[in-house]
This record gives sequence, structure tokens and C-alpha cells, in this order.
Amino acid sequence: MNIVETEFLTKRYGQGETAVIALDRINLKIAAGEFVAVMGPSGCGKSTLLHLIGGLDRPTSGQVSLAGQDLATLKDDALTELRRREIGFVFQFYNLIPVLTALENAALPLVLDGVKTEEAQAKAKTWLERLDLSDRLDHRPDQLSGGQQQRVAIARALISDPALILADEPTGNLDSRAADELAGSLRQIVDEWNRAILLVTHDPRISAYADRIIFLKDGTIVDETRLSEQERSAARSGEILEVR
Amino acid sequence: MNYTFRLALRYLAGRKLRTFLTTLAIVFGVLLIFGMNTLIPAFVSSFQASAMAIASEVDATISSKTGESFPAATLDRVLAVDGVRAASASLERPINLPQDYFDKDPQTPDRVTAVTLVGAEPDSLRSVSPYLVTEGRFIESGDKDAAVITESLAEAAGVGLGQALTLPTTSGEVNLAVVGILPQRLMPGNEEVLVSLSEAQQLLGMPGVINTIDANFDSVDKARRAEIEANIKSALGSSYTIGVLQPGAEILTNIKTGQLILTLLGSLGLLMGGFIIFNTFRTVIAERRRDIGMLRAVGASRRMVASLILMEGLVQGVLGTAAGLLLGYVFARLVLALIAPIGQQYLNVRVGSPSITPGLVLISIGMGVGITVLAGLLPARSASRITPMEALRPSVGAVSIQQLAGFGFWSGVAMIAVALIALLSGSSALLALGAILFTIGLILVTPALVSPIARLFGGLLALVFARRGTAQLAEGNLSRQPGRAAITASTTMIALAVLVMASSILSSLAISFNTMLQKSLSSDFLLVPPSVITWGTNLGADPGLADQLRAVDGVEVVSTLRFASTQIDGVAVGLLGIEPEAYTQTSGLTFSAGDPQSAYQAMESGRGLVVNGILGSTAGLALGDQVTLLTPTGEVQYTIVGIASDFLNAKTTTGYISQANIEKDFDRNEDVFFQINAQGGADLAAVEAGLKQVIRPYPQFKLVSGAEFLEQNSGLFDAAFAGMYAMMVFLAIPSLIAMLNTLAIGVLERRREIGVLRAVGATRRQVSAVVLGEALILAAIGVAFGLLSGLYLGFLATSALEGLGFPLEYTFPASGVIAGIAVGLIFGALAALIPARHAARLDIVKALAFE
Repeated sequence: MNIVETEFLTKRYGQGETAVIALDRINLKIAAGEFVAVMGPSGCGKSTLLHLIGGLDRPTSGQVSLAGQDLATLKDDALTELRRREIGFVFQFYNLIPVLTALENAALPLVLDGVKTEEAQAKAKTWLERLDLSDRLDHRPDQLSGGQQQRVAIARALISDPALILADEPTGNLDSRAADELAGSLRQIVDEWNRAILLVTHDPRISAYADRIIFLKDGTIVDETRLSEQERSAARSGEILEVR
Repeated sequence: MNYTFRLALRYLAGRKLRTFLTTLAIVFGVLLIFGMNTLIPAFVSSFQASAMAIASEVDATISSKTGESFPAATLDRVLAVDGVRAASASLERPINLPQDYFDKDPQTPDRVTAVTLVGAEPDSLRSVSPYLVTEGRFIESGDKDAAVITESLAEAAGVGLGQALTLPTTSGEVNLAVVGILPQRLMPGNEEVLVSLSEAQQLLGMPGVINTIDANFDSVDKARRAEIEANIKSALGSSYTIGVLQPGAEILTNIKTGQLILTLLGSLGLLMGGFIIFNTFRTVIAERRRDIGMLRAVGASRRMVASLILMEGLVQGVLGTAAGLLLGYVFARLVLALIAPIGQQYLNVRVGSPSITPGLVLISIGMGVGITVLAGLLPARSASRITPMEALRPSVGAVSIQQLAGFGFWSGVAMIAVALIALLSGSSALLALGAILFTIGLILVTPALVSPIARLFGGLLALVFARRGTAQLAEGNLSRQPGRAAITASTTMIALAVLVMASSILSSLAISFNTMLQKSLSSDFLLVPPSVITWGTNLGADPGLADQLRAVDGVEVVSTLRFASTQIDGVAVGLLGIEPEAYTQTSGLTFSAGDPQSAYQAMESGRGLVVNGILGSTAGLALGDQVTLLTPTGEVQYTIVGIASDFLNAKTTTGYISQANIEKDFDRNEDVFFQINAQGGADLAAVEAGLKQVIRPYPQFKLVSGAEFLEQNSGLFDAAFAGMYAMMVFLAIPSLIAMLNTLAIGVLERRREIGVLRAVGATRRQVSAVVLGEALILAAIGVAFGLLSGLYLGFLATSALEGLGFPLEYTFPASGVIAGIAVGLIFGALAALIPARHAARLDIVKALAFE
């Protein structure tokens, strides 16, 4: 079953001569438990695609369906609820609430959904322990390293058992070791817990963890590939990938 | 909701300084409203406390409505009323004593500054009140030069049984033998000196009259007592009242006007506080755009986001209000403690604690918390509309003027136009509406004008900073966020408007009062009683003293004032009797309506009455009106022949008639104030010596030179004005907080830009200069608009005060305008200090990594 389906998805900014087409009639399917990476040069529409799929923005035309629901038919409250329950977000700049601890940040989506705080925090603790943060539960974001903050963000993204994780340049602010660790965690999410992931990145090493890589240019999909195990290993070790 | 509350507390605790500064704005407002409204009622209730204390000893105390004396035979009419078991007539006069009268020691504070001389028939007095003598005997009918006093008065005066108590009287000092001692006085009010009725009538120069009847009834039943009271009123007629009129009641109007003004100031302070909260929330939301966007992205509803902002406001409102109530009480206590000696000395009032009512507490809480929550409503709505996408994109680019010149801008223009028409109309009601429209209009047009004004002032700044770049950056930063800049500038604008308005009022008042001061107190010498505010509490002198003073070598003219209390249409009035010919040579009234010469002639030839502005506006009187004055013997018609004031009485409801009329209608020939001019070329020292010799038996008067008295009053006047200016500056402090908030947010948001600036070679000083430049531009915008608004409001307020009866003419507040410009720019610079320092000290690498 497909978690995500887009049909002629288009996003245009501005009008007339100054209009910019960020996405141009994108057709994309992501299956349950699939790890998809989106790559491309700056301004190709990677983040815009992710925002539209996540219901953070509305398309100019075309359709986005998430778990069978057409997002265009949902009002703001319903969209908000969908984001809370079906989607987990991991941003480049962590976006943790600075006045909450790691545990409280991770528990946030469940608490917003009305789950009792103790219950939500218990679940958050489980995820944080899985991500090797058991000794950082009471630390605030300014007391955590970049990699640790990002793992808190991942725990937050996973806590409501969403069908889809959307990650926008999650390793952009991390050193290579932390980035590898994070990418490994994402891979683990797919392999062990069967979540679908849509990852936007311009780092080929990170995209190598994905099942499928989509290449965007000027708002359209120009290529799509699945790496062999050998290619994956080479990419992770830093060898340059050749775009077929 | 629970979680939202906890998150709100976390955010508030996470920015302790900002939370403190914002809450401070609410504290100021509540402190002013609550504090002022506990202060004045405390004063008023103390003022009336002694009368209540006396009245509570008996079932009913009957007096003339005006507080003046009436025939002794009135007692028989009261005794004849069914239900009156016993009644006693007395003649009572408070006598303000000169400083150090008993102890003669200027280093020790006076325990007794006034006494009440009570003259009554002993048997009937004891029939209504228990007087238990602990030593000696009670007064007896026909006693001469004898008195009964309390133990506490005996101690303060340093006299014992059988010794002489010296008191001033209208015919000079007398010695009264203490024949009996009563227990210590425990109730509020003056110490009493009990003498026989005939003795009191002789000492006070008031033969055959009384001014108080105390009565006890034959029933404790409430309905029956009400019936007996009604019978008494019916028997005596409308000139009498049940209850004691406290001398000085004419100043109550003035006190209540003062209370209104102070409450308005407090409300203004609170409104400013609300505006500050609004401004702070706007900047907080700007700061937390990413957090809010993230919250929305992970599933927080719009309602939750709005609730978060409102909850923060509520917490600040509750904390600020609680602190404001507490500090307001402390403030009121401090002020009461400071003015207690003045109240005691000049008004013969022992001021107690601040007067708190449940209603006042509820209103203060309602206003403090209410304004804070209201101030958070729009920002909360704005926050709830932040989409997750907006939070992920930085704000860049200039905002076009076209976008800004929308509905709000044009509404503002229309309002300003209407306000200017109202200004030309001259109508008070339209002026008031115009002032509000003008101020709101300026606030609405500000966002669209930020950019062009910033460019204008930026040019000036470039001269100051000597490098175009920093000024340009400052201009650009403000133009990028015109809404936020406008709000901060508006807060400064309101503060400046208040300052300039106050300056207009105070300048106009100062010039008007100064003119009056010079005219009123221009005599060479004055004989001044202990209180020049409540004439009724002073013991004067019989006409013999004035004659003696005229006979002193070198004296050219002696002018006196005589005092009586009356009512006009229920308004308590202090009536001053003058001899126009002598009065105009030593003093004079400043007329705002009517011709002085005709007015004085009319006073002398008939029943002409001049009223001061306060009385005129309070009682709704105009030139030519016929009014009824309540006298001890009935009602008498007078004609208003002028509206005029003198310096000493400008603030209380006062009327002026001839001394012949005050004697004829009020049976008053007691002189309470003297102004004396020496002959041209006379030796002033010799004249002074002669005058001192004459007044030696009259310790109730102090001889002062005209120059000395003028200087004293000028000094008091200046001190009062300085206090008022200080209060206005106090009100302007919240705008400093608002500006600080905005600048701090600006630095935070532009961290990366600041990092880039430093990376390409800007020095720390130059970075500071950018922040400082922004602050000065914001301050300049606020000052410019604040001046305009303040001048308009000042004109309105001056017109309104003139309408209330204060004698003043509008004067352009040149010094206030200069002070306002200086204060505004200094505040701007001060507000920039912390953010500028912070910006300059940012770590370049960290700043570059920030987004």
C-alpha cells in the first residue's frame, strides 16, 4: 500500500512574468516502510515537495494523498490532527522548544493529542533510550550537542507511531560522524519499525542509506534510482556517485 | 489547558528579565490607580472623623447647614420636640494654635496643634454626655476665667489643677484657671477646653449665640429615632441639619477633583502598561516564530497556540496586579506619612491609614488583569495564524509603501483631518473627541511613515556617526519591520504626548498662578493665622486689632479678611469679607469675568458677590446670576458681579462680599487675615517693630514680611510642580521598557546578519552604532509624533481645566517641548545600551551559523 501519492503536484510562487515554478506536475508514490531520498541542486524544489506532502503548505494544483486521504479536502484542524498522528517531522535546525527538556520535547506530539503527560513521557523515554539518550532525558536543548538534539527530534517524530517521517536536511548541521549515526538511526527506523521515510538531502553519503533516490531539477523529477549494495557501500564511504 | 499553563510558565521563566520588565508596566499602572484611590479617601475620611466622633456620643447633633452660629433660643424648640429626652446647647470653635505655642520648643514636634473651645451650660451638657472629673470640679454656670481640660491636654500644655491655661482669643490672650481635669482623650479630634457658655460667648465675641445642640432621644428603636429626627427637622426648618459640619468642608470639592485627576493619571498609566504588554507580545511572537511554527507542524492547534500567549499574559497580569496592589498600599502609606504633618498643621486633620474598600480592590484587579489579557488578544490571534511554513522562512526584503498605505493608514489620515477641524471649532466636546482621534490617527499612519521618516532621520544620524553605512543599516532594519517599529514608536509617542500635555498644563498654570501670586501677596507685611487653607479653624481678632495696627507710625493702609461659611445650591462655600478700597491697595482679585471696578462698587453698594472660578464651575454660576446664600438667620439673595480669584483661595470654593454684608448677614466682624502697607519712604524696620508690639497679645497671628511670604509660597508652588513633573516622567518609564524589548528582539533576529557584518570587517563599535542608530530613529519618530499629539492634548486639557474653574490661559510649553525631545532621545539611547552591547559581543562563528 502507498503511504504517499502525488498526482501532477505543482507549486507556483508569484504571478505573471515574475512567477517561479517550484514544483512542476510531480507524480510520486512512496510505499509503506520505504526509505526515499530526494536530491538535487539548491532551489530545485526538494523542500517544497516535502512541505506539500507534510501538509505544511498548499499546492497550486495537483493532488497529495497521505494514507489514502486527499490533503486538499482537509480543513486546518483536520490537517493539524493528521500531522500530529500520521507524520513525524525532522528539520535541519532541530526546532526543539528551548524551555522544555529532551523528554518533554519528545513527548510533545502525544501531549498535544491529549494523552496524559506521564503516559506520553513514558513512551518518549522508550524512544530516547532506543536512540542512546537515556542519560540526557532532563537536559534542555542548549545542554545537548547537535547530534543529540537531532535524535531528540527523531524521537519526537516517532512517538505518535506515524506512518511517515519527513526529514528535511536532518544532517545539514552535523559533523560527518554524527551525520552517519543519524542516517543509521533513520535506516533502523525503516528496517525495525517499518516506517516510511522521505528524506531531503544534498549529501550523497546520506542518500545512500535510502532504498530509492529521486533526483529533482527545476521542479521536475529528472531521474530515479535504486542503489545496489556495492554502490551503497561506496557512497557511504565517500566515493562520488555517478548519476545515471 | 494544564499543559499550556505549564508551557507558559516555562517561557516566562526562560526570559526572566523580559518577563520582569513587562510585568513592571502593569505594576506601575495598578500602583497608581490603587494607591491614589486609597490615599484621597483616607484624607477625606480623616477630615470628617472628628465630627463623627463627636456625633457618635449623642443621638443627634444639630447645627446650622452652613456651620455658622444661631440664636441660643433654638434650644427650647428642640426640647419641645416629642421624643427628645435631653438636649444641650453649646458654642464650639476650633482654635488653631501657633507652632510651639505650649512647649516653646521648635526641636520637639507639637502634640497639640489645635483645641476646641466648648462653651455650654454645665447641667444640660451633663444631661447628654457623661463628663467624669478625676480632679477638681466640673464647670459651673456663670464661671469666669475658668476651664476644665483633659489630662492629656494638661500634660501637653504643662499645666495642672489650679494653674492657668493661656489661650488666644479674639480680644487677645487670656488665662483660664484649670478648675477640673477630665480623663485622657482617646477619640480622634481636638482636645477640648470646657468653659461656661457665657464665657465662650465673651471670649469668641459671639454674644447670645450657639452653634451646636446635642440631643438624646427617649427610644433606641431605629424607626422611632428616625421619626424623632424628622420631627426635629420639621420644628427647626431647612436652615438646620442633623450632623456636624466640619470646618473646611469647602475644600472637599477640591480634594474630590484632585482624586479624579489622580485616578485619570492612574488609568493612563495602566493603558500605557497595556500598550507595552501588547508591544512585548508582538515582539515575543516574532522571536518565537520558529517555535510556534514547529508547534503547529507537530500538531498544536491554533487554539492551543493562542491559549499559550493568553496564558502568559494572564500570569503576568496576575503577578503584576498583585505586586501593584501591595506596592500601591505601601506607596499610599508613605505619602500619607509625608503629608501627615501638613494635614495636621494646616488642615487640623490627623490622617490615618490608606482607605481600602473591597470595591476598589476588585476594580484594580479587574483593570490590571483585564488590560493585560486584552493586550494579549490580538497578538494571540496573530500567533495562532502563524503557519508552519512562515516559521521556516526568514523575513527578507523591503515592504512596499503601497502595501502599508492600506485601510489603516487612510483611516488614520481621516481621523487626523477630523481632529484638526475639531481644533478649529473651539467646542470643548469636539476638542476632546479630536484629541482621541488625533492620537489614534497618528498611531495608524505611523507604519507607512516609518520608512520615509527613518530616511530623514538617518541622514541626520549619518552626520553624528560620520559613516553613512551604519545609519543606512539602521534605517533599513526599521523599514523591514515597519509594523514593529511603529508600535514601539507609538509607545514612545504616548509617553511623550503625556509629558508635553502635562507641560502645557503646568506651564499655563504656573504663569497664571504666578501672576495671581504677585498680585495677591504684594503687601509689605502680613499677619498670617496658622492655616490659610481652612479659615474656619482659625481664631481671628476683633476689629480693635485692625484699628491698633492703623495707628502704628508709618502704616498707610491695613486690609483685613473676615470669614463665614455658607452654601449655594448645596455647595459648601467659604465666604470672605473684604473692604474693596483697602483690599485693592494691598492685594487684589484676578478677574476672568466682569469689570473689577463695577464689581467692587456693587459689593459696597448692595449685595454683590464675586465668586472664584472653582465655585463658578461647581455650582454652575455665571455673571449676573441671582443666588441664595444660607445665613444663620435664613436665606439672602445676592447677585454675581464678577468671577475672580486670589492666590490663597483659588483652589477652594470661595466667594467674596463686603465686610458690611458679612457683618449684617452672618454676624461676623472677626478679622482672620491682615495685609499692611507702609507709607512711602517709611522705615520698614521701625514699622515692623511697631506692628510686633501691637500683636503681642495675639499669638494666633504671625507677622511676616511680604517678600518672605511671597518667597515661601513660590517655593511651595515650585515644589508641587516639580512633584507633578516627576510623576509624568514616571509615567514615561514604560515606554523605555517597550523600546528595550523591541531592540533586543531586533538583535536576536539579525544575529546572522550581525555575524556577517563582523566577518566582513565591521568593528564592535560600528555594530553597536547600528543598534543605537535604530533606537534613536525610533525615539525620533516617537518624539515627533508625541510632540504633535501632546500639544493638541495640552490645549484640550488646559481648556477643560479652564472650564472647571481653574484660572489659567493656555501657554505654549516651550520648555516642555525641549525637555520632551531631550527625554525621548535620552530614553532611546538608554534603551539601546543593553541590546547594543549584546550585539557587539556576539561570537562571529556562532552568529554565522545561526538561522
